[in-house]
Amino acid sequence: MEPAVHLDGITKRFPGVVANDDVDLLVERGSVHALLGENGAGKTTLMNVLYGLYEPTEGDVYVDGDGLADGDDSPHRYAQPPKRFDSPADAIDAGVGMIHQHFMLVDPMSVTENITLGNEPRKWGGLAVDSARSRDEVVDLCDRYGFDVDPDAAIEDVSVGVQQRVEILKALYRGADILILDEPTAVLTPQEVEDLFAVFEELTAQGKTIIFISHKLGEAMHAADDITVLRDGKNVGTVAADDVTREQLAEMMVGREVLETVDKPPVERGESVLTVDHVSATDERGVEAVSDVSFTVHEGEVFGIAGVDGNGQSELIEAITGLRKPTAGSVAFQRDDITNWPRQRRIDEGMAYIPEDRHERGLVMDFDLTENGLLGSQHTPPFAESGRIEWDRARTHAQDIIDEYDVRPPNRDAKASSFSGGNQQKFIVGREFERDPSLVVATHPTRGVDIGSTEFIHDRLLDLRSNGKAVLLVSSKLEEVQGLSDRLAVMHDGEIMDVVDPETVTEEEIGLLMAGEQLPEDSAARSLTEAGDRSVAAGGESQ
Amino acid sequence: MSAGDWRDRGRSALERLVRASAFERVLISTAALVLSMFVGVLIILAAGRMTTCTTAATTFFGVGFCYDPFAIYDSLFLGALGDPINPLFKPLQGEFAAPFRRGWTPLNSQMAVTLRETTILIFTGLGVAIAFRAGIFNIGMQGQLVVGALATALTVLWTSSLVSGLVGTLVLIPFGLAVGALAGGLFGAIPGALKAYADANEVITTIMLNFVATSVALFLVANPFKDPESPANETVGLPDFATIPSVLYEPRDNFSIIALGIALALVGASYYLLEHTSFGYDIRTSGIQPEAAEYGGVDAARTIVSSMTLSGAIGGVGGAMYVLMILGNYQTGVPSYGFDGITVSILAGNNPLGVGFAALLFGVLKSGSIIVDVSTDVPPQLVGVLRGLIILFVAMPEFFRMIGAKFVIESDEGQAVATDGGVVEDNGGGSDE
Repeated sequence: MEPAVHLDGITKRFPGVVANDDVDLLVERGSVHALLGENGAGKTTLMNVLYGLYEPTEGDVYVDGDGLADGDDSPHRYAQPPKRFDSPADAIDAGVGMIHQHFMLVDPMSVTENITLGNEPRKWGGLAVDSARSRDEVVDLCDRYGFDVDPDAAIEDVSVGVQQRVEILKALYRGADILILDEPTAVLTPQEVEDLFAVFEELTAQGKTIIFISHKLGEAMHAADDITVLRDGKNVGTVAADDVTREQLAEMMVGREVLETVDKPPVERGESVLTVDHVSATDERGVEAVSDVSFTVHEGEVFGIAGVDGNGQSELIEAITGLRKPTAGSVAFQRDDITNWPRQRRIDEGMAYIPEDRHERGLVMDFDLTENGLLGSQHTPPFAESGRIEWDRARTHAQDIIDEYDVRPPNRDAKASSFSGGNQQKFIVGREFERDPSLVVATHPTRGVDIGSTEFIHDRLLDLRSNGKAVLLVSSKLEEVQGLSDRLAVMHDGEIMDVVDPETVTEEEIGLLMAGEQLPEDSAARSLTEAGDRSVAAGGESQ
Repeated sequence: MSAGDWRDRGRSALERLVRASAFERVLISTAALVLSMFVGVLIILAAGRMTTCTTAATTFFGVGFCYDPFAIYDSLFLGALGDPINPLFKPLQGEFAAPFRRGWTPLNSQMAVTLRETTILIFTGLGVAIAFRAGIFNIGMQGQLVVGALATALTVLWTSSLVSGLVGTLVLIPFGLAVGALAGGLFGAIPGALKAYADANEVITTIMLNFVATSVALFLVANPFKDPESPANETVGLPDFATIPSVLYEPRDNFSIIALGIALALVGASYYLLEHTSFGYDIRTSGIQPEAAEYGGVDAARTIVSSMTLSGAIGGVGGAMYVLMILGNYQTGVPSYGFDGITVSILAGNNPLGVGFAALLFGVLKSGSIIVDVSTDVPPQLVGVLRGLIILFVAMPEFFRMIGAKFVIESDEGQAVATDGGVVEDNGGGSDE
């Protein structure tokens, strides 16, 4: 074995926090290495150390894209001395490139311009960019690694999967031999994920080394050669992907056995609670993001909406919860037409909402939990009496949520910002469920949440369903929507492609729908489009 | 020291500042005040060396200086209080034995000047602070003050013919204050509505409305409502019973302890409003995280308009006080109470309870500057520099806190310090499981 990266005893301390605790990581040259762990396990911190964003408190970083040679006479264990990266620029010089979760691309500029940005070939004595040469270089680069990317397309016109490939090309253009990808599959469709993994193979075949961060077991096992599991900032172990089972990996991640399957008791479906009728809505730029969507959610039912992020789910949900005005159509809740109701009235009438972005909307980061527990109820008795807030009741209420939903604050009176993502989410879930709602709109309720909390939130959602409440669930995690939903709608480009039975539909078929195609004629999946819902077969554009 | 280390250090220092307790913040402010005086001393000495004078005001290590820094700061701070103790640093005269000047009382006329300025600044500071807490930068406080002042002067003048005597005072003063609040409030509501319903930036509109207010006021006072017997642009004076009676202080000091009492009561009321009412919760939420406020059912447009109205109303009361307590009529050339109110609010960290102290500091500096002018040869420009230094030093930590709060919260979310990495050392609660 010839390692390309050796992180030797890395410890990274922040004030009050040990993010990495004596972590060793050995990555073989030309391999795909998955860094697996729950949120807050220290994966990103460790990679930021390798990428020069953080300097380790203790430990050494050895990097060589061509493999670290053993050094006999050297004071170090390798012929190469340990690296000291003061900034990402140093790391890039040493051949380490990182592709962040959020792409760092300039939207209106072309693929070529984005790839060469900052390192453009010059002409006229360095006065001007030699665009012809940069284009040639980019085309060469694409050919060499088998990337199918149009060098002249503007970033804003290409898909997320292509944008990610541009990020990878950017790193390669800068001479990266070791590529770090932070949660690369989070934004991709199942098909795009497959394409990405094919890219991995092509790159490793040419001697590149890939490290990718993930908290999804399946893709780590599927795409990686070796898997290192981090838990609580420590290295739990490195295993070969071929020699390990999902259950073993899950246990390594959480330190106990995890039940992955959801046990869904049968529930009688009741009256309709939410009826969305031919709703259209636009996004911030005024472009139509939701086109003529109709569906109904009943008591005792989880209605799931699957789809790749950014296909109109957010706008649709905001139109339902009162944060966005639909441009057409109507929304009915219980027996009322609520299309023009203000947000507060929807809350008061029993519509709970777990928002997609907990940092922006769900919590006020600068408030403590007592204040946050009040969000949405600040005008409602018993928390407010004639305009005055009853802080004692608010405090008890927050404490109840903390106890009941197993929220673990770092200290008493801590502000929401100091909580880990999972604990923030559990608090929001608790606050919304405690409203005694008749409808829960849950968008990505377990995004960025570890397995333990995920399971807990799933159980609570199913409890609501058992109690005859209606649940509208939006998630980009397929196994989540598929496992929890009674009926599953798939959204693509602002439209509901189909409503299917999650029991009979296959993951590939959902993938097809998510990509905007129809189910094949011979599909075994039962379509569950109701009379009240939009008839897909009649009006589908792709026919 | 590498760049990464410095960044970490800077970040943790900022975090420390953001999370400082109230007591620590008072300590920081005090330290900043002392530090600003150190720097000020150096500037005074340097300026003193560069000036020529016949006799040196003070001598250090055999070098003569034209300005004595200790005498200046003594006049600036203690002078503002009516000089309660003898100058601290005059060991040659050996007067340490009797620090309190014989016959000193807090009811002296210089103290009245200090408290008079403080009172008006409490109103404008509070007004700005409430808008600030709602996330609105109300630079239009000056205009709201002017409109309130003018409206009060005119209406009280017209109605003063209907009543008189003690009854007149009891009726007209609350009436005048109410008119000031109403006028200021309506004038504040304009930029509020423009922001809420037409998405017009309040910084631009309030600045422009300041000009509108002062110009319209100038026109009215120079033409239809001008006192025909006065050469200046001013209205006819109010009868004595229509001005706020000065209690304890001399009437010629133009300061009423009642006005200060009202200002302090408003400080308490504003604090209560923000911290203990649903409306205050809406304001605070809108101010720090408008998206979350919207999610929590807060009507953004209504909150903007109502907090701007409230802000303007408080400023309008300040204007009414200015007329009823200080001037006794309306004159053009209103001092920049409204703009100073912005600094007072920042100094106070936009906390109503802090506004009282910040306004007092401003009052002391304003009133003390007059004493420095009278009692030393120091040019007023240099005094302005010293005042500016003090305000800059004391305001900077709060200012960094305001910026830092945003930064620290953001870093908590993203590739963060505390949340991204594993275990909080003191207990296990920070980890996800």
